[in-house]
Amino acid sequence: MNTELPKQHYRVDPHARFRVLDGEGIFVLQKAGEVLVINQVGAFIVEQLQAERTLDDVVTAVTERYSVDRAQAQTDAGSLIEALLEAGALAAS
Amino acid sequence: MSTLTLEFAHCRYRLTGLLPEQERHVRARFGALECPAALAPDVEIEVVQSPEPERFMARPIGPVEYRVEMAYGERQIAIAGIGFSAAIERASFRTQMQTCLGDEWFLSAFENLLRVVAAYRLFSVGALVIHSAALSDGERGFLFCGRSGAGKTTICVLADTLRLTIFSDELNAIVPSGESFSLQAMPFAGDFGGTPIRHPPFPLTGLLGLEHALVARLDTCSQAQAVSRIVASCPYLNADPMVSEQLTERAVQLVDRIPLRVLSFATDTTFWSVLDHEYRIAQAALPR
Repeated sequence: MNTELPKQHYRVDPHARFRVLDGEGIFVLQKAGEVLVINQVGAFIVEQLQAERTLDDVVTAVTERYSVDRAQAQTDAGSLIEALLEAGALAAS
Repeated sequence: MSTLTLEFAHCRYRLTGLLPEQERHVRARFGALECPAALAPDVEIEVVQSPEPERFMARPIGPVEYRVEMAYGERQIAIAGIGFSAAIERASFRTQMQTCLGDEWFLSAFENLLRVVAAYRLFSVGALVIHSAALSDGERGFLFCGRSGAGKTTICVLADTLRLTIFSDELNAIVPSGESFSLQAMPFAGDFGGTPIRHPPFPLTGLLGLEHALVARLDTCSQAQAVSRIVASCPYLNADPMVSEQLTERAVQLVDRIPLRVLSFATDTTFWSVLDHEYRIAQAALPR
């Protein structure tokens, strides 16, 4: 099975602000005047994306840090990114 | 043309250029907040009459929830609503309102503009204007933040039956006070209604999020959850790219000092027994 992920980069959307508070992540979505909170794993993933890592690199970092298998990390990271793209918190770059 | 000066939450707002009919509407609503014209204002709001209604958002037919559109520029914040447009200078808060209205629609337009002006002015002096319900037992102040449907008006109705003092079920201000914060009334009411009156400030004792439940209960929440509830409840500023980071930082400072807790409540007055008990214990535990 080919598990290679696209070399796509993501960044925090220009209309959103992100910061980590006590491990959890918080997005302020300025267009909507709304706020999103993500858990510690999610905050770690967004921090990795901010460091300009590809999704493939992020999945590797998650498996190393949280002792999960690659398939699970790939599914979770993909779902999170998809949700954050839809919310306007992340943008593809 | 008339001039009127209103004062609330330690800020004075001077309106100039009012037509007699406009002045009458403003005075009928906010008269209790009027202060002597000799006192220098913190903010000047100039009303400019513009008789061409086609320049503004049209009046709707039938009932409508009043909304304003906003655009955030580097130097100005632009606002447009039914029958008016306005610009607020970021540096001085000097505001110019253009309007074709003179009847009760003028009051709605002015009140919506004043909410925005007050939110920015108070933010500039370290305060947060929060979409919230607030009440006091004459000794302690409690603020319940949440968007529409969270239960703010319900809490006010229930608190009213307990003869607690209701500030507002719509907008309230949290103002730095020494090492802590005080709760200040704002003259804006939601569904609970009421004419604005002057309330003394009270020490902010309880900072609460609201959840509906069958049994009243208080729970803690994480710092990120607490900050998100506060920021999401700060209208106008949380959508402003020029200030949203500063707003988040201020919310962090607030919840570090006064932790936000989540009040689950049923539609009865047992919520107050829980709050009264929990916050008496918390206060008694503070070092003297």
